[in-house]
Amino acid sequence: MATNWFSAPVPVARRVRGYFAPVDRAAQTPVLFDPAEQGGFSLDAPPAPWISLGWIQAFSRKPSSKTSPVLTGIPAGTLEQVRETIEAQVSFEFLSWTKLTMALATGSQHMNLLAPAPGAAAAANGAQASAAVALQSGSSATSILLAAVDAAKFSPGSIIALDADYTGQTGFVGTPVSGAYLRQALTDVDYTRRVTFNVALVSQVTSSGLTLAEPLLGGAPLPGTKLQAVTGFVDREGGSFYQEWSALFVMQGSQEERIFFHYPRLQTMAGAEEAAIPLDEKNQGGQARMMLKGRFLALPVTDPLDGERVLCYRSFLPAANALI
Amino acid sequence: MHSTGPVHEELYPMQNAKDSFYMALRTRLATINPERTTLLRGAVRPGILVEEAEAPFSQLPSDVFVLRWLGLGVDTDLGSTMAAGECEIFYQTCGTQSYGGLDRGRSLSGMDAELAAMLSPFYTPKLNFTATPPAAMLTQVFWDEPGFGPVTVQRDRLSRSAKVMVYSYQEQGE
Repeated sequence: MATNWFSAPVPVARRVRGYFAPVDRAAQTPVLFDPAEQGGFSLDAPPAPWISLGWIQAFSRKPSSKTSPVLTGIPAGTLEQVRETIEAQVSFEFLSWTKLTMALATGSQHMNLLAPAPGAAAAANGAQASAAVALQSGSSATSILLAAVDAAKFSPGSIIALDADYTGQTGFVGTPVSGAYLRQALTDVDYTRRVTFNVALVSQVTSSGLTLAEPLLGGAPLPGTKLQAVTGFVDREGGSFYQEWSALFVMQGSQEERIFFHYPRLQTMAGAEEAAIPLDEKNQGGQARMMLKGRFLALPVTDPLDGERVLCYRSFLPAANALI
Repeated sequence: MHSTGPVHEELYPMQNAKDSFYMALRTRLATINPERTTLLRGAVRPGILVEEAEAPFSQLPSDVFVLRWLGLGVDTDLGSTMAAGECEIFYQTCGTQSYGGLDRGRSLSGMDAELAAMLSPFYTPKLNFTATPPAAMLTQVFWDEPGFGPVTVQRDRLSRSAKVMVYSYQEQGE
């Protein structure tokens, strides 16, 4: 059995796709991507726990590691080089505004605006929220079972947040995504639901509960989970919390070759910033697309293969029958 | 048989790519709108044709996509020579008789949507259609987003053309 082959030119790609997965902040464990095992995945259905953030644009990688020469002799010449620091940055623009893209593109924690209780005093992060409702057992990532009286409080098109009551814990808050870090205990029983990433759009309401348009990021709700309506999202310039995610960027070439950029640890390094891109280049003052800009600093991990500290893995899966 | 680098004596630098592009669009159209057909040379076919592969038309048919190949470029500096062909896709409509042609704008919008759907995804395997059955080649034909031109009005006839750059790597024997 034999095969033909061709000489593959430089890859040609139209755009870049981004995927993120939550880092376990408490255990300092990133999510790893194995291009040998997982590299052939459908771009619309990434392997768990990777979450597709759709196509991104203006993708730019900037290596900033510094090297220095080790000099010897008179006059001095470079004997060898040493890497003094390792640093890399990534920047791009999201093509959508969602809970996750907003969170990634902000420098600090990203919060849900919980539906306010009647008559509650105004607050910049959202007023005191209406009371949460408890879930019935048997709920799944897309089906939330409620008592009929509680289900009647929601309608198709509602946005909801699900998580446990806040009970005074400190440190990282939220699972599987850490949405905040608390140095001291708070008194807001709804705080976990304010920062949770378990949010979803309600597509259908019945007397027995809610059907969600997309599965919850955290999967099936845990016992003790409660539910509140969300009216929107808010983030702040300032604060001390840094979002940290594992990231995977994919370029698919014209010959179905793939280039992967896997950053096990990316932290946001800039505050919330938007770029206005006019829809019509000839009408700069007209309708403009408000792009969320993200800038990230890559943090190192120790590669168990050889103990080296690295920031990013770049992988290449060649086109079928291409000479390498 | 294998490719060892740029080929410098090609006679038809884009023919397999042109054939593959047309057949991909034709197959996709048959799925997107099976009712868009045309009677050509005694046969009912999906409503898309290549102008240079048919007898000259005194007037292009309505409610059919007509592919017309224009510019050609070749980049020989790469590991495999890349050829680029500009394809103009022309279509026109007078609407339907049952609505007295008052739906011609709606009909043209429908053809706009069908063309956009036909072009996605922006690649297809390259095949050699001179063989029977067509022989799969090693590379893919790929193209850019279409550039839609303005609507042209001629009495009760609305027409539009879209241009697409189609790219292909040349293989041994092309």
